[in-house]
Amino acid sequence: MASVAIVGVGESEWGRSVDRPLDELILDACRLAIADAGLQGHDIDGFVPCTPHPAADELAASLGAKRSFTVKPGLEAGAGTVGAALLAEMMIEKGLAKNVLVYFGYKGSKPGGPYSYHAEDPVKAAFEMPFGWYGQPVYFAMWAQRYCHDYNVDPATFADIALSARAWAQLTPGAQKAKPLTRDGYFEAPMVATPMRTLDCCLISDGGAAYVISSVEQARDLAKAPVLVGGVGVGSTEMTMGSIFSQNRPDPLRFGALESSAMAYAKAGISAKDVDFAQIYDCFSISMVLQLEEMGFAERGAGAAFCSLDRIGPGGSFPINTNGGHLCYSYLPGMNHVVEAVRQVRGERGDAQVSRKSVCAIGGLGGNDHATLVLTEDR
Amino acid sequence: MSVPNFPPPRDIDLTNPFWEATDQGELRLPACSVCGAFQWYPVPGFACHPEATRHWREVAHTGTVFTFSKVERAFLPFGSEPPYTLILVALDDVDNARLVTVLVGDDQDSVAIGSRVELSPTVFETHTLPTFRLSA
Repeated sequence: MASVAIVGVGESEWGRSVDRPLDELILDACRLAIADAGLQGHDIDGFVPCTPHPAADELAASLGAKRSFTVKPGLEAGAGTVGAALLAEMMIEKGLAKNVLVYFGYKGSKPGGPYSYHAEDPVKAAFEMPFGWYGQPVYFAMWAQRYCHDYNVDPATFADIALSARAWAQLTPGAQKAKPLTRDGYFEAPMVATPMRTLDCCLISDGGAAYVISSVEQARDLAKAPVLVGGVGVGSTEMTMGSIFSQNRPDPLRFGALESSAMAYAKAGISAKDVDFAQIYDCFSISMVLQLEEMGFAERGAGAAFCSLDRIGPGGSFPINTNGGHLCYSYLPGMNHVVEAVRQVRGERGDAQVSRKSVCAIGGLGGNDHATLVLTEDR
Repeated sequence: MSVPNFPPPRDIDLTNPFWEATDQGELRLPACSVCGAFQWYPVPGFACHPEATRHWREVAHTGTVFTFSKVERAFLPFGSEPPYTLILVALDDVDNARLVTVLVGDDQDSVAIGSRVELSPTVFETHTLPTFRLSA
């Protein structure tokens, strides 16, 4: 039985480049999430910062919140923002806080962009950058190449993932890439690193996002229908962040999602076949494919073919990334997926509303770690 | 096709012996001083032998392409002029270690997973990059 629920979600203004301080964007997102729940700033007493700034004490002062407990995830990117729900659940179950604010923000437009994160890793700076093995698209292109080789997959299969993301984005206000895209248009897009094209790669975004988690009992008294946290799971590989993308391991195409999804499904009392729709961390088309295989939606090697436009796109039998995801909506790692899942389960998505919305699985990748979050309707 | 020229940091004890070796035309990877097991990439301690120090062992100059990509845009802050071909090489005599490197040679478009490659260094003013070429 779920003990906690997501009661509010918020996103600041976002875009390729937003000329406002990141702390301000994050504060906007937090205020929106708290208001979405029908709560006030002083109701918030637990904090899960998924970003170095603003620190929880400064944010609490800005919101008029009291701080009972603060804990930061030791996981990065999507694993951190999706896995943060587990920390919030633990805080509430332990009686450390009643209403927990999970927040994140990112300026992808900063000098050096998203790539510079890896320049700070001494082994990557020494053993990869001098060769030009740099930039996340390069790492994932190498994996896409290997995946296509091992499972006899035509790289053209990835086109449907880009087409589906674009189709969802066209139904979603504010999506960064929402112009119509044809199949030919996908193949006309420039190659970034073979076999991946620009449209296989996520956006660059500036913005903030937040969500609020409360006990299920309290959630039922709040503004909107509670979205229950059916289960959260985390999984870690044996690799360091520095070595995960290049070095040997028993199964090179695994990123921890097998473990995280098993844990989340067990807690939720479901299996993969009970999931109605999914939001999966799509920093790249290939990363989404690998996770959905580990999460049990397709057999190993069959994930790319599984992602046909008519299955995962609007009107499909298994919708994925129903706002356009990180490819077309926004790139606030993992957060966009959680916010979208909540809106879908509530039935707030208008033209993009999925028809079966009882159970959503969210996959959050963070390099060598992974988190799975199962959200369900309150029934 | 080009080869990126992006000098490595040379003041870090954990990583610099690799570049000291390439300057000599050698390829050395860190290993446990007690049992000789390679540790790539290096981390501060050895789980196999906590008392061990880092010993940089010479490795084979040949290997097999595990995967590759032709990079067609620049990500480095400077020093790269795409396109260039990256390869991940499983070195012949090293378990659990793969070398990230650049493929050189006029025939590089014929690279495939499983291609045999051998060391063919590219010498820059600041450092020697242990690039590889396809074996005949």
